[in-house]
Amino acid sequence: MNRYDCFEFLVPSMTDQLVVGSLSGQRVEWGHLSGHPGNLLVASMGAALGIGIGLALVLPHRKVIVLESDGSLLLSLYNLPTLGNLNPSNLAVFVFDNEVYSGTRISEPSATAGKTDLASVARSCGVERAITVRDLESFKQEATKALQENVLRFVVCKVDKTTGHRQIQRPTEDLWEHKYRFVRYLEKTEGKQIFMGRG
Amino acid sequence: MEAELAARIVGGLKEAGISFVSYLPETRLSEIVPLFREDPSFMVVPVANESEAISISAGASLGGRPAAVYMEGSGVYVGSYNLLVLGKRLGVPMLLIVAYYGSVLDTRNSFLYAMPGIHLIPILKSLDIQHEVFENGASLETKIKGAVKMMHAIKQPVALLFTGEFTI
Repeated sequence: MNRYDCFEFLVPSMTDQLVVGSLSGQRVEWGHLSGHPGNLLVASMGAALGIGIGLALVLPHRKVIVLESDGSLLLSLYNLPTLGNLNPSNLAVFVFDNEVYSGTRISEPSATAGKTDLASVARSCGVERAITVRDLESFKQEATKALQENVLRFVVCKVDKTTGHRQIQRPTEDLWEHKYRFVRYLEKTEGKQIFMGRG
Repeated sequence: MEAELAARIVGGLKEAGISFVSYLPETRLSEIVPLFREDPSFMVVPVANESEAISISAGASLGGRPAAVYMEGSGVYVGSYNLLVLGKRLGVPMLLIVAYYGSVLDTRNSFLYAMPGIHLIPILKSLDIQHEVFENGASLETKIKGAVKMMHAIKQPVALLFTGEFTI
């Protein structure tokens, strides 16, 4: 299964969902396919899931989608007990697990290339609907459920080790610009002021 | 900490508009936790790690609830990477409520706490995080309000460090 193919399936389904993304190739690929203002691609390992939990808690009427990677999640496993205990029903987490630190250019194996099973870890932390998918059809089925149902889902997507993102032009929008775009979109769609203060 | 000071901290935060608190419990300011929980205007989220608290409060802040993170001074060390990449690089406003353990006026100071206490403000300075030290309750609510106004103005974290009377 190829991560880019998964993204190509997901992107047309994005309407008013909020999408929080992590780092590396997935940020480049998702940003290339989707210019939606509801994207918050934080460009940092170990932060996307936490931000997604926070957004889901304060905006319970909005579907929040988190795009994680094996490396990023392994860096922030402390999120999983909190996720299991809080159980935000409006949150869907997709972990694109290629079993390597592909950004290193030497494709150093991550722990999931060995004995570590992230879906099992999530289940043991209380995330009941945590599963692993290994082919595109299974991904489509789980993604459809995750988008339609109001229940926490955690889908580990075993994907190929690809380097296609290196052929995609990197975004020029910097992180503050990206953040402002996201927040102004939320202010508009939620009908409330988020960034306080006045000039 | 006297109950009155705990109530004033929580009341000051509420008055300043804070409505979301993530936290990892510690000793010195722990009396504020039940007060947060008793007040429905606060959404309160316990976590396992201060880095996590910072990322969850960042999400809450960007989602429209002015957010705080309550932690021991050690949490600044644990959370420093997320303070850098979310607080500074992405620019997310949040208030850090920090028990300033190991400081000169920490009444529980010992060889356990002094070293991390000594390095706490240098760490905040290296991250260019604005901070205010509270030794007693003088102007407490005014300073909290000012700190919240500052975090909104610069869209970055601002830290409140509590020592002295707050550590009794």
